[in-house]
Amino acid sequence: MGDNFQNKTMAPVMMDYEFKIKTQNERSKVEDLFDFEGCKVGRGTYGHVYKGRRKDGSDTKDYALKQIEGTGLSMSACREIALLRELKHPNVINLIRVFLSHTDRKVWLLFDYAEHDLWHIIKFHRAAKANKKSVMVPKGMVKSLLYQILDGIHYLHSNWVLHRDLKPANILVMGEGPERGRVKIADMGFARLFNAPLKPLADLDPVVVTFWYRAPELLLGARHYTKAIDIWAIGCIFAELLTSEPIFHCRQEDIKTSNPYHHDQLDRIFNVMGFPLEKDWEDIRKMPEHATLVKDFKRSNYQNCSLSKYMDRHKIKPDSKAFSLLQRLLLMDPNRRITSEQAMQDPYFSEDPLPTQDVFAGCPIPYPKREFLTDDDQDDKSDSKARQNQQQQPNDRRQNEQTMRLMTQQNQVQANSHDHAANNAKRMRMSGPNQGNNNQGGGQQEFHQQQQMMYGQQQSANQQQQNFQQRF
Amino acid sequence: MAGNFWQSSHHQQWMLDKQDLIRDRQHDLSKLTDEEYQKIFNFFASIIQVLGEQLKLRQQVIATATVYFKRFYARNSLKCIDPLLLAPTCVFLASKVEEFGVISNSRLITTCQTVIKNKFSYAYGQQEFPYRTNHILECEFYLLENLDCCLIVYQPYRPLLLFVQDIGQDDQLSTYAWRVVNDSLRTDVSLLYPPYQIAIGALHIACVMLGKENLKPWFAELNVDMDKIQEIVRAIINLYEMWKNYDEKKEIQALLGKMPKPSPAPQR
Repeated sequence: MGDNFQNKTMAPVMMDYEFKIKTQNERSKVEDLFDFEGCKVGRGTYGHVYKGRRKDGSDTKDYALKQIEGTGLSMSACREIALLRELKHPNVINLIRVFLSHTDRKVWLLFDYAEHDLWHIIKFHRAAKANKKSVMVPKGMVKSLLYQILDGIHYLHSNWVLHRDLKPANILVMGEGPERGRVKIADMGFARLFNAPLKPLADLDPVVVTFWYRAPELLLGARHYTKAIDIWAIGCIFAELLTSEPIFHCRQEDIKTSNPYHHDQLDRIFNVMGFPLEKDWEDIRKMPEHATLVKDFKRSNYQNCSLSKYMDRHKIKPDSKAFSLLQRLLLMDPNRRITSEQAMQDPYFSEDPLPTQDVFAGCPIPYPKREFLTDDDQDDKSDSKARQNQQQQPNDRRQNEQTMRLMTQQNQVQANSHDHAANNAKRMRMSGPNQGNNNQGGGQQEFHQQQQMMYGQQQSANQQQQNFQQRF
Repeated sequence: MAGNFWQSSHHQQWMLDKQDLIRDRQHDLSKLTDEEYQKIFNFFASIIQVLGEQLKLRQQVIATATVYFKRFYARNSLKCIDPLLLAPTCVFLASKVEEFGVISNSRLITTCQTVIKNKFSYAYGQQEFPYRTNHILECEFYLLENLDCCLIVYQPYRPLLLFVQDIGQDDQLSTYAWRVVNDSLRTDVSLLYPPYQIAIGALHIACVMLGKENLKPWFAELNVDMDKIQEIVRAIINLYEMWKNYDEKKEIQALLGKMPKPSPAPQR
């Protein structure tokens, strides 16, 4: 018997003292490396986010430090770390480093700092609109934002990662600096690898996508998350960028998180889109909540509703390329909804003004910087995004608590996709998923070259000529 | 990550060099022979396997836990952390990364106690599993640090199934090769070779054992480095050779006694 089992009650030495001391000495503490005291810029069920700078002055960049809620490695913390550790794309938030604080068992994630996000940007435009003021931004800004969102999601999808919680607050935009005006998709804590799911995904976190951005099939009880669910959310965000209004805004009083079926949200969708025809969504009959739908809704109530009418009321012409793309993103039938790859090839993006790498196209950024939060700001325990939503939509106060409850559901990762490796073994294919764009048509090629060129000379005169300004 | 092995941390950080591996094991190999060292890892791989089965985890998760375990000791001596603590910690972490549903702390500890008592009494006698939740949680932080937060591990199972599909579905072949992949976890191949190569190596062994001569052209058509496949095959065959003359039940107590152990803090 080993000498570490001398008697039944005495635990053996679990860890070597020298190893422990050596590891301790090598470990950096987040508070030793970064100044961030009093610089909280976000809080929510995910934890706290601080804006920080390096203490040693080796660079003067801003960083975002996220202290994960709770202690230790929850499943969502594990998922977030595992996924972010692998993901690398210009339009996906980049995890620089993880700090494990052994004394208080806190987990910290270090990211580049993004000064803006679409929630704040849209809020700014709403406020301006309410005051009958205009905001000067490049006329291609919405297009650039959408293109980069699609690019990031295409990367995630081709790596078998679903976001599942896309909404304006999770779309960050970089402020002044080398990555000025670049979209960063964030909040991947909910991201799940969906290749060969071990268990129907809906069994795990019954409802995940924030209600306004939730696809109709989820509201009708779809058991599996799909890429199409993220695409619907992108369609919603696109519409909101075009109009400054959440397209499927809905009061939400009594949401049972365990039940995906949500009458009011569906009603809102039908009020905008019209009631789906059988021929437009054949599989709707197979949805778990189809019977409830038939019982609760009358087609005749939505006779005069259509997306084109809704958008026309918001001054987006039904014959515009923007509308045509929006319609393809917001198809009710998930099987007909386009993919991120198809969306990126839409004629909208090859029409002038072309999308730019800096969504502000070199123009001054009209949006304010993030404000620091004080601890008294947190009058309630709701998610900061939800809290912001309250300001935006005073009627939706209660929704936030719901959002929060949703966000605390268990989350998991599955990692069992190996097909690329297998393919590579046989065919030695060299291109990764991101090079798929090379297969596009001639016009698209030109576009990519141009974008490439503009990226190379971001501040050049060439770029400046793009900067026609107009109301957002 | 899920999609692209070539851009993954597995490929970029955790395809180790055989010479480095041997060098990093010098401390342990001054106290144990190569074969003893392998027998100890074989034993703890069994503990991880049985724990995983008791917890109803999928083989994918068990394999990931085993790779975490091997990665930790690829960089550290066996004496740094008691492997009897690290093994369940790896299972716990892998289940969070790979699976659904957290294993509750108490269920994990209870399972460890039952498994050690009922299945491994030949190694631990009447000794109970000596660790509690707080030990596992502390150990988990050290594990994550030593893995450099690389938690997504590619396994040979999926490429294996795709290869079998390509060959033309053969249940006997796939079952056999699948078991060889499981056995490969008890060698160093998961530290040294990409998973698709391990899958091909396992298929190769399965074909030879099942006498499937007709698959030679299929292997010949593969555009892979056959030397690497041969190295993998040899490592796994060596394991089978070792098993032939090895009675773990008789030898393991002595081996565990000989294993380098953590030293406590100096007494003052």
